[in-house]
Amino acid sequence: MAEPETNRMATRRPSVAQALDGLFDPRTIAVVGASRTKGKLGQAVLALLKSNGYRGKIIPVNPSGGEIEGLAAVRSLDEIDGPIDVVVLATPVGVALDALESCARLDVKAVVGVTSGFSEAGEDGRSNEMRLRRIMQDAPFRLVGPNCEGVVRPATDLQLTFSPMFNGLRPGPVAMISQSGALAGLMALRLGERGVGINAIVSSGNETDLTAADLLEYLGNDPETRVVLCYVEELRDGRRFAEVARRLTQDGKHVVAVKGGRSRAGSRAVQSHTGAMAGDDRVISAVFRETGVIRARESVAAVDAVTALAAGRRPAGNRVGIISVTGGLGVEMTDLAESAGFEVPVLDEATQTALSHYVPFYGSVSNPVDLTGVVLANPTYVGRCLKAVAADPGVDIAIAIITFVPDQQFIEALAEAFDSTGKPILIVWTGAARSNASGEALRERAVPVYDSPARAASGLAALAAMTGEVA
Amino acid sequence: MTPRETLENWQRAGRKVVHEADAKDLLQRIGIPVPKRDPTEGRCVAKLCHDDYPHKSDHGLVRLGLAPEEAQQAAAEMAQRFAGGTPLIEEMEEGSVAEWIIGCKRDDTFGPIVLAGPGGILVELIDAAEIRLAPAGPQTAETMVDSGPGARLLAGLRGAEPADKGALADLISRISVFFAENADLISEIEINPVMVRADGKGLAAADALIVLSPNADEQESLT
Repeated sequence: MAEPETNRMATRRPSVAQALDGLFDPRTIAVVGASRTKGKLGQAVLALLKSNGYRGKIIPVNPSGGEIEGLAAVRSLDEIDGPIDVVVLATPVGVALDALESCARLDVKAVVGVTSGFSEAGEDGRSNEMRLRRIMQDAPFRLVGPNCEGVVRPATDLQLTFSPMFNGLRPGPVAMISQSGALAGLMALRLGERGVGINAIVSSGNETDLTAADLLEYLGNDPETRVVLCYVEELRDGRRFAEVARRLTQDGKHVVAVKGGRSRAGSRAVQSHTGAMAGDDRVISAVFRETGVIRARESVAAVDAVTALAAGRRPAGNRVGIISVTGGLGVEMTDLAESAGFEVPVLDEATQTALSHYVPFYGSVSNPVDLTGVVLANPTYVGRCLKAVAADPGVDIAIAIITFVPDQQFIEALAEAFDSTGKPILIVWTGAARSNASGEALRERAVPVYDSPARAASGLAALAAMTGEVA
Repeated sequence: MTPRETLENWQRAGRKVVHEADAKDLLQRIGIPVPKRDPTEGRCVAKLCHDDYPHKSDHGLVRLGLAPEEAQQAAAEMAQRFAGGTPLIEEMEEGSVAEWIIGCKRDDTFGPIVLAGPGGILVELIDAAEIRLAPAGPQTAETMVDSGPGARLLAGLRGAEPADKGALADLISRISVFFAENADLISEIEINPVMVRADGKGLAAADALIVLSPNADEQESLT
C-alpha cells in the first residue's frame, strides 16, 4: 500500500496493516486518562475493556499513579518499558496531544484518539488541529480518530470505547467503519440484537491519519469478513475508497454504505450542463453502483441490508416464495417485493399439494401463501410450510411472516426449516415482543429476522444486488 | 504540438472557457468526428465562437439552414457585433437519429467522472444520464449506452431507426480517457449535442465546450 508523502520516517512508521494487526489483537494497551472518577471518558474506557473480558495487559496512565480498577497505574507513558500495541487517548485535548508526542518517542503501533477538540471544533480547535498534524507528520505509529468512539473486536474481547452500545456482540462476518461513533453504536446494537456477528468495528472519527479507505482495505480483505458496513460523511480519498470497494465486491465481498451529509463544495457554480447533471448525490449513487457498493438510504436500512447479507446465502435468481399467517402482511410483502423487481410466482404443483395439508379452504396455497391462523394450532406447521416453499424449484428466496408466537417449538421448527436449505430465508416476525418464545435459535444461526415487511424488503434489495438482476 | 501542449498554451494564455471552434479542433485531434467545415454546397450553420459567450444562442450567435454564401455573410455580421470572436461555418447535421450529451468533470469526492445521456432539450431529464468513473474503458462505455432510459431512445423508439451505439461508446471512452489524462488542466469538457446517426453511420460533435482549470499560481491565490 502506498504511504502518504508526509512520511519521512518510513523505516519506523508501521504500514496500515502492521498497525491494525497490532490494534485488533493487542498484547498491551495503555489507557491515557484512566480514572477512578465515574463519568470520565477514561474511566469508562477502562471499565468496559475489563468488563468485556479483555485478556491482555492493560496499563492505566494517570498522573497520580496508584491503582485504578485493580490495575497498577503509571504516571506517564514514558514509565512504560517495552512495546505498547495500542495507546488510547481519553483525556482533554491538551493532555492528549502531550501524550501523543510521548508516543513518538516510544514503541507504539497504534493510537486510538477518543479525545475531541480538533478540526470538528472549527476555529476553537484550529491550533490543536495544527499541532496534531505536526505530530502525525513524523509519527512512527498510526492514529485512529481523533474525535471517535473507538474500536471493537469481539473475537479478542477488545472493547476500546467509552460507549456501552457495543457490549455483548458476538464474533462474526460483519466489519463496520463509521465516521460517526453514535451511528456505529446504533448499528452495532441493532445487529447484535439480531444475532449478526461482528468481526470488527472502527469509529474512524476525523480520520486525520487512517481513513475509511485504509480501513475498508484492511477489514474487507480479512478472511473473516463477509460484509463491510460503512457510514461516511466525507470521503477524503473517495477515489481510493471506490477502487478498494470495486476489488472487494469483485472478490465476492459485500460493501454496504450510508453516505450522510453533503459535500461542502457541492454548491460551487458550474459552467456546463455536466456540472449540473452530475450533482454530488447522483455521482455517489452512480459510483457506488459501478463499484458494487450497496447504498443504503440511512443507518437502519443499512442494518437491514447487512442482516440479509451476513447470513452468507446467495440467491440463484429473483423469485420469492412468501408464506404468511395472515393475508394482509403477505400482500404487503408481495407488493414491496414486486416493486423492488422481484417475482412472486405461482408455486410448483407439488409444493401446493404439500401446503394443502396445513392450509384450510379459506386460505391460499398459491403465492403469497396465506396459511391463516389455523396453523398456529400446531407449533411445527409454519416451519414445515416454510421448508416446503424453500424446497420449491421455482423459488430462489423464501420469506416467512409470523406475528405472535405461542411457544418455543414454533421457533425451533423455523430454525429447522432454515437448516434444511441453502437458499436465503428471511423471517418477518411482527410480534417478537408479544410472544412466549425466544428468538435465540434464529439468532444463533444468524437467520435474518425483521419486524416489518418494509424492513425485510431492504434485506431483499441487498440480496438482489448480489445477483445483479434487480437494480 | 500534442493536445496536452495545446491545453497548456491555452491555460498559460489565461483562457478559462475554450470556445467551440477551438474545442472542436482539439476533439478532432483525439479522434472525435466533427461536422465538415466551410462546405461549398448544402445547408450550413454559421456560428460565432467566443470564450466570453459559451451559450451562443442566447446572444444570437447561431444561424441555421443557410446556403454557403449566406453563411459567410451571417458569420461576417456576427463578427462585427462581437469583437474577438471566431467565425465557424459547418455543414448542418441532418441525418441524425439521436442527440446525446457527453460530459466529463472532476468530482470533489471521486475525481474524474464521465456522464452520457439524452442531449439537446432532453438534458433537463437529469435522471436519464449515466455516470461512471473516468477513464471509462470500452466495456464500461458500452454499458453506459445500454443502460437507463436513454438506451431505449438509442435502440429506436416506436419504429425509429436504431442509433450507432458503437460509435457513441467509442466517443465516450475516448473523451473520458483524454479527460482523465489531463484532468489537472481541464475541469470540465462537454459535447452537447453529439448528433448520433443510424447504426453504422457514425456521429458528429455538433457543439463542444472545454473549461480549463485555473493554473497553479491562480489556484494558490484562491486559497
